[in-house]
Amino acid sequence: MKKIYISTLAATLLLAVSCKTDFENSTEDVAVTSGEANFSKYISLGNSLTAGYRDGALYADGQNESYPSMIAKQMQSAGGGEFKQPLMPDNNGGLLLTLPTGNVQIADTKRVITGFSAGTPTIAFANDNKAATITNTVLTGPFNNMGVPGAKVSHLLAPGYGNVQGILAKTANPYFVRFASSPTTSVIQDFLAQKPTFFSLWIGNNDALLYALAGADDTVETLTPADQFGTYYNLLVSQIKTSGAKGVIANIPNVTTIPSLTTVPYNPLTATLLGKGDVNVGNATIDQLNSSLYGPLNQILTALGAGDRIKPLSKTATNPLLIFDESLPNLGNAITTAALASGNPQLMALAPYLGATYGRARQAKSTDLIPLTTSGSIGTAATLPPGIPASLGARGVAYPFEDKYILTSTEATAIDTAINSYNVIIKKAADDNGYAFVDANAKMVELNSASGIQWDGVRYSAKFVTGGSFSLDGVHLTGRGYAIIANEFLKAINTKYKSNLSMISPNSYSGVTFP
Amino acid sequence: MKRILISMALAAGVMTYAGGFRVSLQGVKQLAMAHTSAHAEDASVAFFNPAGISFIPSKLSVVAGGFGVSNQITYQNTSTLQQTETDNPLGTPIYAAVAYKVLDNLSLGFSFSTPFGSTIEWPSDWEGKEIVQKLELKSYFFQPMISVKLAPWASFGASYIYAKGKVDWTKALTIYNGQLNLLDDSATGHGFGFGFYFQPDEKWDVSVAYRSPVDMKAKKGKATFMVPTSLLPNFNGGSDNFKATLPLVDEYTLGITYKITPKWLVSADYNYHGWERYSKLTLDFDNVAAGNQPNDPTILVSPKNFKNTSSFRLGTQYAFNDRIFGRLGWYYDETPYEDKDFIPETPSFDNYVITGGVGFKFNKFGVDLSGAYAMPKSRTFSNQNIKFAGQAKADVFYFGLGLSYNAF
Repeated sequence: MKKIYISTLAATLLLAVSCKTDFENSTEDVAVTSGEANFSKYISLGNSLTAGYRDGALYADGQNESYPSMIAKQMQSAGGGEFKQPLMPDNNGGLLLTLPTGNVQIADTKRVITGFSAGTPTIAFANDNKAATITNTVLTGPFNNMGVPGAKVSHLLAPGYGNVQGILAKTANPYFVRFASSPTTSVIQDFLAQKPTFFSLWIGNNDALLYALAGADDTVETLTPADQFGTYYNLLVSQIKTSGAKGVIANIPNVTTIPSLTTVPYNPLTATLLGKGDVNVGNATIDQLNSSLYGPLNQILTALGAGDRIKPLSKTATNPLLIFDESLPNLGNAITTAALASGNPQLMALAPYLGATYGRARQAKSTDLIPLTTSGSIGTAATLPPGIPASLGARGVAYPFEDKYILTSTEATAIDTAINSYNVIIKKAADDNGYAFVDANAKMVELNSASGIQWDGVRYSAKFVTGGSFSLDGVHLTGRGYAIIANEFLKAINTKYKSNLSMISPNSYSGVTFP
Repeated sequence: MKRILISMALAAGVMTYAGGFRVSLQGVKQLAMAHTSAHAEDASVAFFNPAGISFIPSKLSVVAGGFGVSNQITYQNTSTLQQTETDNPLGTPIYAAVAYKVLDNLSLGFSFSTPFGSTIEWPSDWEGKEIVQKLELKSYFFQPMISVKLAPWASFGASYIYAKGKVDWTKALTIYNGQLNLLDDSATGHGFGFGFYFQPDEKWDVSVAYRSPVDMKAKKGKATFMVPTSLLPNFNGGSDNFKATLPLVDEYTLGITYKITPKWLVSADYNYHGWERYSKLTLDFDNVAAGNQPNDPTILVSPKNFKNTSSFRLGTQYAFNDRIFGRLGWYYDETPYEDKDFIPETPSFDNYVITGGVGFKFNKFGVDLSGAYAMPKSRTFSNQNIKFAGQAKADVFYFGLGLSYNAF
């Protein structure tokens, strides 16, 4: 009896202990190593994205959540050294330039949400846009994060890019002025002087982005031609190569998918908007615009076989913005002629003006992109020639939005084509020189997809404000968005150099701040 | 007795342990023998099989008991190398039952139990905070029953189940730097149970039972969105109502006890649980568009993909004398979901458990103690639906104290 009893017990225990209850490897015991790389002196090169710029400004909290500083933190468990950043002294950002005549503000403070109206955030400048950081105060370096907001590829090579005297002439950059080792140095020179053992390079965005945000208006910004981009980029990489450092380089996200260009709809005009909240006023405005402007223009254009350029406004649906498209054939003379022949005294009086103003005007289409900054300009008054009724000066409503306000689909396609060419150059530079490569563009495409990017149950998308990954400028990322990118860098580094740096949890960084 | 029962009920907080959020802790004596069912010594058989009350030797039998469940889940993320442990409170499931023989062949009974529940508490800033920070599930089954002896060796019993429940779920709304709490403490549901109990001779006890599923319906749950003030208009002012149904699944049980000698018995059970009913959780908010359905943004559907499970139990009892009993057991309980469906709000593992206990009898009064040590199998998971991956393990220990009184 006792024998059976004991053997039952023994069998029970045997069955019980035959399973695995503990972790095979505890993460607490994992040794992080640098593999074939040496992380002791890591320096990051790049633009605003590298600097940790967000919400339209560079400020301390954002810098502390820059992707290079996140990467450096992970490197610390694998021989990485200190990572020093040229920190801004406060969390408002913005820059003052001290001139003999006094201080001039040359950069705005960060954007903040002050509230919501009808679900749309109200965005204002922090601290009433009073910046306190003096650009002329040069910090003691050297610095590991050498990201310079606003820099294009060629700028990293340019001597004197940190010379305070060149700021107003735009030959120098106020952010580099703050940490350049001398007024004559270049970013690459200061980089090489530090003898880095590891680098990251994410540059080239501004060669297309600034142009896109300027509505592809050549008089404001230029698009770097691809061959020129290639020359500068390869020159830069060959300079970096002389350091002997291993590193990682990233390509450029397709800038036409960022919230700054995808948030404002092409057709925001409604009776409510036109009446500034009063539908009756808005409806009266629509009647008036249709009878005096849209109707006649539509009739004239239809007769010219271009009736789809401008159609009368609807009181019940959302209406597209009126824009200027320089790629259209100029029907100005024909419009003037038709207006003169219309027999309508009002039209006849305005005929030369109508031809000059609406010859290449059309209503926006869903493929045109409206920069976020343009939304505040809808309905603002354009300067009109003497004698023209002021009501015809309302931008986007009666007066076609000028080039710098709108990125037409033709312009957007040209920018996409340029970025694709840049990315071919970047990928080749990475491969030819044996650097790790980050396909940042692919990650942004994923972020911009309907499902977005999910991390531990949090769904991030490229949607403005509520997507969680883009900051309030609609161009730069939040801490969480930068962390998603940092993980891509870490993965690329691990793959290339056989290191095992650990990933970071984007959810533990900061997102959009709500009051 | 009543006072003890009430104070235990107030302290009740039940704990998950394998099998989703099913709690197999309904009899201290039974737990000591691997929670096997074919034991008709006292009213504690009532929960397991209403037919069993016909075979309780005494005319009136009363039992009550409670358990302590210490449970800790550890999560580790092999890509971030972070490790997190739950901070779960001690779970205290309880039960009570009474059975009374009205006639020789007709018995009435009542069982109160907490067969489903779970309290999981993770640090509020842990990696899976968007999924769960704290989740408390409770259910109370009130089961009146009747049993008829069909023959001196066979009985049939049936019960009605009235269930009350509570859900209290807090999770982060990371994008909005806030939290969401879902609370409903008035969810109710109905079900039934029935079974046959046989004692073909003095050596054998056979129990065959079925307990129906119970749909716990939260009809007017309260959703509280704790978000920054400026966002409150986007969240219906911060509070909303929701509807949801949590299925408490059905269970088939076949139990057999064989008395090797008058002093020594062995028991075996097989259970089958219909977890497949929990294929998804649907939260239907009245106003707030916190959902994920393109045609109705107020409806949030989360796939759960549970599957039916089995458990196997082996237990034994040895009577050292008329007063002292020793008990041992072993059972295996299967997790209701695969690695790709692992969810941290009800972490679940394939679970091996060894059990043991002692019982003392003082005339009509019985005191039973039991303890169990679970060895949940650690798992490596990657839930693509919520993009949550890593490894999890659990440490679980139970103990129980039961009282029984078999009057006249």
